[in-house]
Amino acid sequence: MTSKPIEIKNLTSGYDGVPVIENVNLELRDSDFLAVIGPNGGGKTTLFKTILGLIDPISGEVRINGLPPSKGSKQIGYVPQKERTDPAYPIRVEDVVLMGLRGRKGLRPTYSADAREAAERAMEYAEVLSFRRSRISELSGGQLQRVFLARALAPEPPILMLDEPTASLDPNMKDCTYDILRKVNRERGTAIVIITHDMSSISHDVKRVACMNRRLIVNDAPEVTKEMLELSLHCIPELVHMGPCNCGGDKDD
Amino acid sequence: MTDWALMLSSSLIQNMFICTAICCILAAVIGTFVVVKRIVFVTGGIAHTTFGGVGLAFYLQSNFLMMWFKPMLGAAIFAVSAAVIMASPKVSRMLREDSVIGVLWSVGMALGVIFMHYVDTSVITPAGYETVLFGSMVFLTRPDVYLIAAVTSAILILVALLFRDLQLTTFDETQAKLSGINVTAMNVILYVMVAITCVLMANLIGIIMIIALMTIPPAMANMFCNDLKEMIISATVISLCLTMLALLISIATDIPPGATVAIVLGVSFMISVIARSVSGKLAAGRISA
Repeated sequence: MTSKPIEIKNLTSGYDGVPVIENVNLELRDSDFLAVIGPNGGGKTTLFKTILGLIDPISGEVRINGLPPSKGSKQIGYVPQKERTDPAYPIRVEDVVLMGLRGRKGLRPTYSADAREAAERAMEYAEVLSFRRSRISELSGGQLQRVFLARALAPEPPILMLDEPTASLDPNMKDCTYDILRKVNRERGTAIVIITHDMSSISHDVKRVACMNRRLIVNDAPEVTKEMLELSLHCIPELVHMGPCNCGGDKDD
Repeated sequence: MTDWALMLSSSLIQNMFICTAICCILAAVIGTFVVVKRIVFVTGGIAHTTFGGVGLAFYLQSNFLMMWFKPMLGAAIFAVSAAVIMASPKVSRMLREDSVIGVLWSVGMALGVIFMHYVDTSVITPAGYETVLFGSMVFLTRPDVYLIAAVTSAILILVALLFRDLQLTTFDETQAKLSGINVTAMNVILYVMVAITCVLMANLIGIIMIIALMTIPPAMANMFCNDLKEMIISATVISLCLTMLALLISIATDIPPGATVAIVLGVSFMISVIARSVSGKLAAGRISA
C-alpha cells in the first residue's frame, strides 16, 4: 500500500494542552490541490503548524508520506504569510531562495553549484528571475510572496503548503500566484494545500475544499457546501453577508 | 600640543589601538546579527549583568583572597548565564522577553553594587564604578591583547562556519526549523557570542559604550547594504575608521576615549540618517521629474 502525501487521523492539537482543533481527519492525495477555508481563529494555522511539526499534537496522528512530521516535514515546501518576516532584513531575493535548499549537509559556509542551479530553476518557475539581485525591502507584496514561493519550490518538494499567499494582493498578483500554483500542480504533480480567504479562487483554481473551524469538513469538489457554511457560522463575510466575526481560538489563525 | 610620535610609541597606546581594532571587527560582526535580529536590548541586558560579575570578582579577591577569580571571569560567568536564560525557549514561553531583560539588567547591576560595597579595601583597591562602566582602554596590557585576539579569532571562525544557519535563523525561524536547524541551539550560540563580545569589550570601552559599538556601525551599514555579508564588511570598515578617529580625538583633547568613541559614532549615525533621507528625496524627485 502506498502512503499518502499527508494523512491525519483523529488529530487534536493546540497550545499548552488547550485544544484549538479537535478530532481532525484529512487525507491529501497525490497531485491534490486543497483549499482550507474558515474563520479567523478557527485553527487553520494550528493545523498547518502541527503538520509541519512546529507544535506537537495533543492526540491523534500526522503522517507525511508515511513519516512523522519531525522527519517528513523536510518534504514540504512552506510559504508563510509575508508579515512573518522582517522586510528590513538585508538580503537579496536569490539568497532567500537559496535558503530553501539548506539541508543538513554539515558546516558549509557557501552553497553548492547544484543548489544554485536549483534556486535558478525555482526563480524561473516563480517568475522572480528579473529581480533576483534586488533587496527584499524593494519588492511589492506580490513580488515578495513569489520570492517565498520560489524558496518553497527550490528543493522540488512533493508537497507545498501556503498560508494565505494571496492576502492583500491585487487581482493581477492573485491571478499570477494561482497561475504558478496550477503550473506546479500540473507539471510537477506537487500536492498543494493552501489556506485562503479568497472565495473567488476556489471554484477556478483548486480541486477540493476543506473548512476548518475547530473541526474539519472536506468536500471532494471545489465547492463550498451548506454544511461548511454552517460550520463557519457567520464568520466569513465573503461566504455569508451577516454580522461581524465573533470567533475565539488561536490568534495566529 | 600633543606629541604624537612620543604618544604613539607608548606600549599602552599601542595596546589600546590594537585591542580597539580587534574589538571593532568583533563588534561589527556580532553586532550585525544583533541589529538584524532586533535584539539590541538583549545586548544591553547582557552587557549590564557583567557589572555583577565584576563586583563578585572584587569581593572574592578581597574577602577570600581568591586572586585567580579575575573580573573578566566574573563578568563572563554572569554574561553567559544571562545569555543562556534569555535564549531559553522555556523562559520565553513563560515570560515576555523585555521583562526578562529588565530583571536581569537591574539585578545584575544591583548585585555589582552590593558586592562592591562589601569589598575589603584594605586588601585590594577595586576599580571604581567609572572604570567598569566606561572602560579602561589606556591600561590594557599585552596579555590582554593576546586574550582578546584569541577569543575574537575563535568567534569569527565559528561565525564563518555557521554563517548560513545564523542567517536563516535570524531571518526566518520557521523556515530554519523546517530545514532541520536546531533554532534553540543557534539562538543560544548567538546570545553566548554576544555575551563574550560584551565581556571583552567591557574591559575596553566599558559596559555603557558596548551598545554603541555593537549597534551603530551595523545600523549605519544596514542603511546602504543589500545583503548580510556586505553589511558585515561595511560595518567593520565603518567601525574601524570611526573608532580610530575617535581615539585620535580623545588623545588630542584628553576626553575619555570610551565616551569619545560613542559620541563620534552617534554623530556619524545622525549624519548617515540625514544623508540617506536627502538622497532618498533626491531620487524620488528624479523619478517624478
